[in-house]
This record gives sequence, structure tokens and C-alpha cells, in this order.
Amino acid sequence: MSQYAFSFDVSRCSGCMACVVACQDQNDFVADETVAFRHVTKYEEGECPSARISYFSLACQQCGDAPCIIVCPAGAISRRQEDGTVLVDRDLCVGCHSCELACPFGAPKFPEDGKMAKCDLCVTRRENGMKPACVRVCPAQALDVGPIEELSKKKAEKASIAILKSLIFVSPKEL
Amino acid sequence: MSREILVKAKIPGAETGIEVKKTICLICGAQCGIDAYVKDGSLVKVEGTAENPVSRGTLCSKGASSRQWINNPERVHTPLLRTGPRGSGRFMPISWDEAFERIASGLTKIKEESGPESVVFFTGYPKWYRPFLKRLAHSFGSPNYFTESGTCFLATVMANHLTYGTTLWPDLKETKCILNWCRNAPYSQAPGYATYLNAASRGVKLIDVGPLSTTLSAQADIHLRLRPGTSGALALGLAHVIIEENLYDREFVENWTLGFEEYRSYVQGFPPKTTEEITGVPAETIVKAARLYASSESASIVQSPSVTVHHTNGIQNHRAITALIGLTGNFDRKGGNRVIPESYYHTPTGLKSREAEFEQSRPWEEMAPRVGQDRYPLWCSMMDEAQATALPFQIQSGKPYPIRAMLGFAVNYRMWPGSDFMKEGLEKLDFFVDTDLFMTDTAKLADIVLPSCSSFERRQLTMYSPRYAVWTEPVIPPVGESRSDVDIILDLARRLIPHDSLLLQGQEACLDWIFEPSGIKMDDIKKHPAGCFLENLPPIPYEKYRTSGFPTPSGKMEFTSLVLKNAGIDPLPVYREPAQSPLSTPDLAKEYPLILTTGARLPMFMHSRMYRVPWARNLRRDPMVDINPRDARARGIPPEGWVMLATPRESIRVKANITEFVPPGVVNMYHGFPSADANTLIDPDYRDPISGYPGFKSLLCQVIKIQDNGGNK
Repeated sequence: MSQYAFSFDVSRCSGCMACVVACQDQNDFVADETVAFRHVTKYEEGECPSARISYFSLACQQCGDAPCIIVCPAGAISRRQEDGTVLVDRDLCVGCHSCELACPFGAPKFPEDGKMAKCDLCVTRRENGMKPACVRVCPAQALDVGPIEELSKKKAEKASIAILKSLIFVSPKEL
Repeated sequence: MSREILVKAKIPGAETGIEVKKTICLICGAQCGIDAYVKDGSLVKVEGTAENPVSRGTLCSKGASSRQWINNPERVHTPLLRTGPRGSGRFMPISWDEAFERIASGLTKIKEESGPESVVFFTGYPKWYRPFLKRLAHSFGSPNYFTESGTCFLATVMANHLTYGTTLWPDLKETKCILNWCRNAPYSQAPGYATYLNAASRGVKLIDVGPLSTTLSAQADIHLRLRPGTSGALALGLAHVIIEENLYDREFVENWTLGFEEYRSYVQGFPPKTTEEITGVPAETIVKAARLYASSESASIVQSPSVTVHHTNGIQNHRAITALIGLTGNFDRKGGNRVIPESYYHTPTGLKSREAEFEQSRPWEEMAPRVGQDRYPLWCSMMDEAQATALPFQIQSGKPYPIRAMLGFAVNYRMWPGSDFMKEGLEKLDFFVDTDLFMTDTAKLADIVLPSCSSFERRQLTMYSPRYAVWTEPVIPPVGESRSDVDIILDLARRLIPHDSLLLQGQEACLDWIFEPSGIKMDDIKKHPAGCFLENLPPIPYEKYRTSGFPTPSGKMEFTSLVLKNAGIDPLPVYREPAQSPLSTPDLAKEYPLILTTGARLPMFMHSRMYRVPWARNLRRDPMVDINPRDARARGIPPEGWVMLATPRESIRVKANITEFVPPGVVNMYHGFPSADANTLIDPDYRDPISGYPGFKSLLCQVIKIQDNGGNK
């Protein structure tokens, strides 16, 4: 099994929250328009002139040792063998909110029918050759999805090129 | 996989009955491509169009909200005739025929009584139908055609024409250095934002100018965080360093410019230390930025469409900024700022077109003077429309002639400085027709409201730079009886100007006529539902001025504008403090010590278009003023506490968004909020004397804590 996950590039995110709305559009959160499987948080550090503002877009992390699976009394949450996605069987869910208490990321949501719903990495879309709605929409291209080995490889290559560029192009005489 | 699962995930295909149809988003001007997921005639989801070269399959939070924007309970379904007092919202449905008959007879009667100029034609957002509306106005005989661009983008065009005789576009693909001047692309045109990030990762240097701490300023090599309203001084300070250190382009300056010695002598007044005192940007940062910009192999200035001209010295500030392009020889040079002829509403495509000829169906000389022509003669001699900020004054005064009727498209009185004054003006009109998707607060003032449809429900041509075009057909049936703006204009034209044989030929025929010089035909574009690059056209060369000179009175780039000189205005790009500022009005600043800047974009809003869309509105529910933690502490304001934002003119009740997004001493308020309209804070006469543009981005205010948080004080 290859574990699938999101990757997020904090340097690119502008906090535009397109990912939140795309998730709502994909999942038909129209009865309560505040529900989404993604949450964008702003964080500010320091004071002018050295203040920094950053944003984080968070969804279900598809934990390797998922507390929601362990605490669910109805056995409604399970891990999909093919890609490690944590899925909820809403027919089994009793709406007890145990998963919500156990989850460190605030991923479980409870739409109007009272049963748990969460991000499944748009599993059906991926099986049909499409990216998750939030990844597809992101104008900053800060979000991506894939097997974690591939995502780490991409990040390693990007960081290496940035280091090389600063060494080769910026101060050639100092080399 | 079961059909139920596929339908729930909205996977297109025969099994689910979901079809992907190509359209575009026109909530803002970026024109992102949309893949509309349609099932049984209903929109079930949207996604970006991967083939679109501008948006590359992405959208912002506004475009992603399209479904709630289109299927919105506030959509107008039929033509409406007002039955209650203006503003009451009481209307009765009427047929399209009755609406057209009433409009045609109403406008004709006023034309016969008071002349065609007493009927004005106005358009807000969007822009695609504007050539048709302008032609309708002039064929009708009225010179008074206005657009929202007349308080937004066009003053940057005017400033560039004064200096260069043309507009300038950044050559971002080729440049080695980007000087981004007061433009928060991640929020204003999100899909274009990746262009900057990708340039930076190619090693392109980024200098960001602006008072706000944005994602771009965080990525920039240098951030020049200036006080609002001081762009002109900063630009002159940069020029000082560039000239002192001999970093300017001698060949270009000697051969292709007018007035360099006067300019050189004027910038002597802006050494780094003085510039720091005016702008607040540290002297050493100014020097560093000037060296980086001027000594890069090539450098492009990215101009804001409006931020730099929304000041009482806006035109001259903007001229000071773009003078740097010629000074460093980056004019029309590879990687610099290019001259690319525009077509179809200011899209730099380099295509030959007869757009101006199409729009100007009657020459200005054969019509009455335009609204604003007495006070802003340069605006009227250089720009092809009347000056909108002068309109409420003429409605009230009736001088030099009365304004009695408006045929409006997407009018929003909240875009005017002193918006309540414009609202009073609309209420005073004898006859006001507004066309809109929604029953807006402005539409409630109209005598007749016509329902227009969204880009998803109509057919239209959209153009992009570089040379990409899309023809879209409706992807869903129109909501109610709503119709395309162009169809509405054409039906009115049949009744009002039956002699205009070209316009009456219809949308495609008119567009074919406009693009005839380029040989582009709508039928060819229609063959490509997601759009196509317009191939086999001559490339646009660099450095065209070497053979054809500059379209200015002197034939050169004018550091000293002859047009300004002849109008009795200072020909140099001089710096003047904002009419209200801690330096220009120190007494006022004692009572109103904070600088107010309004209208900077938020990602989920577009003027006042998205407040009624729940997905967008939930991202920011309440009207909020951005205030620095230092200023909030000094006033005892808690996070998200209610405050009064006050100017000498008015005050509004808003929540405090305590954030380092704004520097100390500056507060930023988004405009157009129905319950807290920032434009009521600004005097309708707080304007740039050359363009007539409002000084939205620098005036004085105070923020006062409301003791009883959440109460209705």
C-alpha cells in the first residue's frame, strides 16, 4: 500500500480560501454554508517592521495511527487498503461525536443529518483520474496530492534547486 | 463503482448524465475559464478550465462560489416596474415588450424636451458589452457615456499617455526584475499570482511597493512599505539615486526624451533621507531598490490598475512611477515594459481592430460637451468617456444643462466618493433604468429594472493577452426571463436608433466588423469551445519607437508633458502631499490621526458583488477595518471589537480586524459593504484635479472603541 496525502507549500498560500469554497461546491454544503472539510487559519508573528503573516490550509491528515478509527464505537471508520485514505461509512455512524473529541485536527464535521462526514481526499475523483477539488482550484498551486514518497521527492528536488540557484546565480565570486 | 457514488462525486460521463461545458467567470476582470458541470440543465459544480492560459485550471474563492452567485435568491427574474417609492423595493413584473416600449418612449420624450445629452448611459462591471453600449449612447446623440473604469483603471492610461502617448504592459515572461507597485495580485487577480511565484523561483528579483503586508511582499527581495499617497515621492527618490549613481540609460534619455534636465533638477529635491521623511521607507532600502531595479539586465514595472491614481495627486504620482521606465531604458525593451496595442476592452493583444471607430458612431464635435468637461477638460480631451465623479454634481446643479435620465447597466452608487450624494442624485432623476442580475440597493431606486443574465447563460467573446480568444455559448438556461446585456442593448437600439444599420446587424456581425482589419472571424473562434490562440498573425516587435517615435506632441517620451504645460498644469511629475495627511493638514490630523485607505481587495469579494453569496460571505461575515495591533492597543480595542470608523464627513460601525497587514498609523477598510459603506466617509469632491479621480486611498480618520460591544450604538 502506498499512503496518499496532501502536501501544502506555506510559502505560496495567500489565504484566499478558494480551497474552502471548492470543497463546499464539490460536497454540496449548501444547507449550512459554513461547513467545509478544509480550514484556513491565519497566523501573525512579530511586530512591524519585521512582522510575518502566514496561512495554513488544513484538512483531514489521513493519520497513520488514526485516533478516530480507534475511538469509533460503531466501527464506522476504517482505512482503505489501496491508498490509506481514512473513510467513514455514514450508514454505520451513530453521530456520537467521539471521533470529533479524539481528532487533533478538527477534521470530523457534522452536517445537518447529524452524522460524521470528513475529507476522503476526493477518493472517487482520484479513481477517475481527477485531483481533489481543493488541489485543482488552488490559484497559488500551494496544494498537491499523491503518495507521500512522491510528494517528499518533489519537495526535496524543489529545495535542492533553490539552494543551487542561490549558490550559482547570486554570489558566483564567493564560491 | 456504483452510479450513486459517481453521481455524488459529480464525475462527468454518460453514466451520471453530467456534462462538462466551457464558459468563463466574469465576477471580476480576470476572465478565468470555467468548466461548468451540468446535469439536466442545472449547474451542479464548477471547476477551472485547464486549457485557459490565464487561469490554468484554477479559480479563486469568488469563481468557486459561482453556483451560489448564479442560483441566487436575489436574482431578478422578469423586467420590473416600480410601484412603491424609490428605494422601497416594491415593483411589479412587466413583459419585455412593455419594458422596452416604456424605456423607448420615456427616453425619446426627454430627448425631445431637453436634448439627447440629458440622457446618460452608465455601465458598472463587467466590461464585455461596453462597445455596444457606447455606440448606443452616441447613436442616440448623447455624449454622456460613463463607465466604472472612469473612477478605476483609466487614470493610469491617462497618466501613461501624458508621458509616453501610449500604455505600457510588463514583459513578465522575459524580465529579470519585477517592480510590483501597489498591486496585491493574490487577492485582486488570484490566478495571475502563480506567475509571480514562478518568476521568483526562476531567479527573477522581486521588489514590492505598498503599505500592506501581503503574500507578495513577504516573498519579495525588497519591500518598500510606504505611507499611502506617497508613491510619487518614492518614485522621485528612486530616480534621484538612479541619476546620481549614473544608472540611467544615457542613450535613451538623450535621443528619445523631452525635459530630462528639468526632471533631473526636480528630483534633486528627493535625496534618500528626504524621501524617507516623506514616505517612511528607510533611506538605505530606497538606495538598494533603486540599484536593483536600474542595474538589472531588464526590469518590468507592474502597475496597479487603480491604487496609485486613487489619490488627490494621483495622475502625477503615477507619472512619477512610470517615468522610471524611460529613465532606465526599459521602455518597449525585452523584459521591460512593452507597448502592445489593445483591442476589445483594453486587452493587450496587438490585434488591429476598429473598436474605437465602432464605439464612436458620432464624433464628439457633433454632441454637447460631456459631463465633467468644464472641470476636467484634459480627461475629456484624452479619454473616450465623460467623467463619472462629476455626474452627481451636475444632476444637482442642472449646470451647464440638466441631467434627467439614466440608462444604466449594473449601476452601484456605492462606487462614488460620498456615495450617499450619488444616491440622492439617482433619486432626483426623472427616469432611471437599471439592468442587473440582482435586486441591488441601486436597482431599488430605478423606475424600471431589467434582468440581465450571467456569463454562464449567454454568448460572448472574451479575449486574453497574449492573443487568446474564447467564444462561449450558454451552458445553462437563463434564470427566469433574464437576458444577455448585448441582446438588451440591441432590442433598445431597434427602438431608439433604427437608423444604425451596423449595430442592428447583431453581436457577431459587429464583432466581425471590429476585427476585420485582423481577419479574425467569430465563426473561427467558435470552433474551439475552450478557446484558441490566434495564430499566424504578425509578431509584436520590441523598440517600435526607433522607427515610429512616440505618439506625444514632441514625438518623444515627455518627462515634461506638453499637454499638461499647454493646460497650465505643472508639466513635471511633481509630488504633492495628499489633500488630507499628517503633513498637509496637521491640525485635522490631531483629531483624525490615522490614515484611511479604502478599497484594497479581499480575496472573497469584488466591490459589492459577493455579499449576497453565502460561501463567499461566510469567509468574512462582518464589515471590518484592518488596524495595527499598536493602534488597537492604544485605543483599548479588543480583537473583533466593535468600533466607529470616523472621518469629518461620516462615521460607520465596523469590527476591528487587528492585524500587521497594515502598518501602524494606517487603517484599511473594504468598500461597498451594505451596512457600513466606506465611501460615505469620503467627500464627493475629494478628487485629483487632473483626472477627477477620488482620493480613496489616502485621507484621515479616527477609530473609536464602542464601549458596549455588539450593541446597536
